[in-house]
Amino acid sequence: MKAITVSMSLLLSAMIFGQYEISGMVTDESGEPLLGVNVYLKGTYTGATTDVDGNFSFTVNEEDHLILVASFIGYHVQEIPLEPKSQKLDIQLRVEINQLNAVVITAGSFNVSDGSKKEVLKPLDIVTTAGATADIPGALNTLPGTQQVGETGRLFVRGGEDRETKTFIDGMLVHNEYSPSAPNTPGRSRFSPFMFKGTSFSTGGYSAEYGQALSSALILESKDVGGSDRIDLSLMTVGADIAMERSFDSSSFAGKIQYSNLTPYFALVSQNLDWDKAPQEYSGNFTYRLKTGKTGLLKLYTNLSTSDLELYEAEITDPEINLPVKVTNDYAYVNASYRTFLNDKWTIRTGASFTKSSDFASLDEASREQDLVGYHTKVVADYLQSDRMSLILGEEVIGRNLHQELIDGEPFKQHLHERISATFSEAELYISTDLAFKIGGRLEHSNLSNRLSLDPRISAAYKIGENSQISFAYGRFRQLSSDQIILFDQDARQEKAIHYISNYQWIKEGQTFRIEGYEKRYNHLTRYENIFDPTTYLSDGSGHARGVDLFWRDSKTFHDLDYWISYSYLQTERNYRDFPGSFTPSFASTHNFSIVTKKFIDKIKSQVGLTYSFASARPYNDLNGERFMSGRTPSYHDLSFNISYLYNNQVIIHAMVNNALGANNIFGYEYADEPGSDGIYASRPITPAAKRFIFLGIFITLSKNKGISQLPNL
Amino acid sequence: MKRNLSIFLGILFAIVTLSNGQFEKAMGGNIPVVFSSSTPEELQAVINQLSRIGEAEGDRWEPYYYSAYGYIRMSGMFERGEDKDKYLNLAKAEVEKGQAIDPSNSELEALKGYHIMMQLTVDPQSRGMMYSGRAFESFHKAIKMDPDNPRAHYLLGRMEYGTAQFMGGANEQACGSLLKARKLFMKNEEPDRSFSPTWGKESTEAAIKEICEGGE
Repeated sequence: MKAITVSMSLLLSAMIFGQYEISGMVTDESGEPLLGVNVYLKGTYTGATTDVDGNFSFTVNEEDHLILVASFIGYHVQEIPLEPKSQKLDIQLRVEINQLNAVVITAGSFNVSDGSKKEVLKPLDIVTTAGATADIPGALNTLPGTQQVGETGRLFVRGGEDRETKTFIDGMLVHNEYSPSAPNTPGRSRFSPFMFKGTSFSTGGYSAEYGQALSSALILESKDVGGSDRIDLSLMTVGADIAMERSFDSSSFAGKIQYSNLTPYFALVSQNLDWDKAPQEYSGNFTYRLKTGKTGLLKLYTNLSTSDLELYEAEITDPEINLPVKVTNDYAYVNASYRTFLNDKWTIRTGASFTKSSDFASLDEASREQDLVGYHTKVVADYLQSDRMSLILGEEVIGRNLHQELIDGEPFKQHLHERISATFSEAELYISTDLAFKIGGRLEHSNLSNRLSLDPRISAAYKIGENSQISFAYGRFRQLSSDQIILFDQDARQEKAIHYISNYQWIKEGQTFRIEGYEKRYNHLTRYENIFDPTTYLSDGSGHARGVDLFWRDSKTFHDLDYWISYSYLQTERNYRDFPGSFTPSFASTHNFSIVTKKFIDKIKSQVGLTYSFASARPYNDLNGERFMSGRTPSYHDLSFNISYLYNNQVIIHAMVNNALGANNIFGYEYADEPGSDGIYASRPITPAAKRFIFLGIFITLSKNKGISQLPNL
Repeated sequence: MKRNLSIFLGILFAIVTLSNGQFEKAMGGNIPVVFSSSTPEELQAVINQLSRIGEAEGDRWEPYYYSAYGYIRMSGMFERGEDKDKYLNLAKAEVEKGQAIDPSNSELEALKGYHIMMQLTVDPQSRGMMYSGRAFESFHKAIKMDPDNPRAHYLLGRMEYGTAQFMGGANEQACGSLLKARKLFMKNEEPDRSFSPTWGKESTEAAIKEICEGGE
């Protein structure tokens, strides 16, 4: 009896563990065999790996779990229920579209990040570019699509004014992003590049998520929760700062307090300007990051500063008469953003920013006081339908309350409460890894003009070879007129621009080539006869900008040498403001060229950089000329040099000189208000305050992990 | 009734013994291959086996440890940064699967640091700051979880050496960590019967010879 039971159970076991042979071939969608695919029975050890011809075969003992799984890197996992018998299967796997293999829409945009995505620049490049003085706009001015406008230090993109470029931090708009500076001297961005892990600089055709910018969007993404505890000290010829970073399990804090004062520098290096009180600034930058739950991330960002300067400006008609100029600014920017994944499909991003900026500027007896309170709130839902389709849907309100008081004898007060409400949506579609589309629209309402507008944004990219692709973008963009206009005429129509962009890009490890052609048409630009007389305002101004941008970057050909070359050709005219017709505005130069080089020299433990920038003549309105805008400045040249010497793990010495060759750059001319007795307007060239700018700094890192220094910062 | 029960028990016994021995046998057979494979194809095949084991078992971290280690080795078989990143990302995913099973495992934490360190080497110029901080964090965390884990000390030593090379500093710190690793390897001389990692002794010796003894 017992023997029977045992033999019965053995027999049954043998039946249950009957053997089958599963074999077949795994290919991709085009029928190419795939090597290395894991083909197995779900929940078991049983399986095989495909060979070079995509073939697999294995013996099955189990009867349960008869689900065959084929899994391979970069492809969708496929599960196939099986009958318990020997069989031959042909399996086709669908490619999974991801950041590594998918075509990226590049028309109009430069991505700066250190992810594995095919970026054009890395965050480090911004701070190591000679001539950029660790200023984000300074570095971006070496990219094609920008025009050198040396007296402002700001970003002028493709024939657009500086105000046509808007800056966003973690999706939230920044008002007054530049630090104040003396008249005709360059200002700097308030935002230190060290705070950001990614920068996307769009010279046109950007997403429907971004509005109120006619030409360009500068999108900065602040760093996530960090992994280090450190204190950094910097001693510079222009001031000093202390920065610290602390990280905890699920949160981190970083802060930097800076004091800068140019008095000692100006005492050493003579300036064209007669300073009474050299620019001085106290500023603080603070970030706090908190991971909440499994996927939530809260970011807080604050920038506070107070600055002032005083100088004497000579009268154009009589250099002996010096009038006092005074500029002060108090600034606060607070930004909070929160992102969380609700589930596999939905992500919610939300944020709010608040800006308060008080400016005071005076020239002799006349003064202007301006108080700005700006805010921006936004909620965006990201829906990931599959690896082939995603959708964003968002809502935002951008507002500004502006009070201005002009005192020139009688005080003159003006107020403005502007509120832009917008809804935007954009779908991203991948037909394959080689073809992608982005289609979106932005519905916007402005309380001032009380108009509703809908702006489409469309872009596409197609991979034409292993390393090359083409992309296109079209979009309509709008923006309120400049503050001076809308303060007078609150219902002025928004100005409008239409972009058409086509782009070819070739990227191979260490080398990038891009060529981009564009056409931009402006409409509803404000025209006037007299800016102080709103009855002369018309919103029928127009303009265009067209051009070609070229970019080449190569870190491969020469050992340890990294360089890039940018060239922009721009043809632009506008009929706006008080122009008597269509003319090229004074900030536009036809040819802009930059070459940026960086080399690490082991022998002297130093990174050296050399940048040369060129811009062709700019027009200016010569009041003594026969025609409007008949003047032409000389072309602009700048050769800048920098060196970072690694003294040791903790100490780095950095030196830099801008315009090392001392080129005489003239940005334009200023004229007296009235002609002299001879009928000629007295004039004065607009030139840099000093030919060269020299900077020396020592950067010291105190860190628990002794390995970390500020090197990657420099 | 009684007969049915014995049949059932018989089958159950067969399955239980089979699956028990199966894990030991499969791991025992596959682990050496992770270290001996010399082509991406061989490595992929053994990684596939390990991931099947990991998935079928569901509560063992060891298969994921070795599949992650396999992907780190694999990344070293490619020249292009893009390929290296691809396999290092896969290694990361395997480490995370292991850590989901055993979050306070020192070996997995050390391996996490190892994978970050390798990611750093793909582009040290621009990844230096961020990745070195994260790698050091993982190694220190791994040592905190198990101060006697020789691999954590060895990898920390390599990271310290790499940083000193990059920054032009001294090797004292790195040697300290490597010597500590050597001491721990000596202490754990007898072979472990489980499938916990045992690698790293020879590499430690080679590193000590090159970094700490070679220059003197």
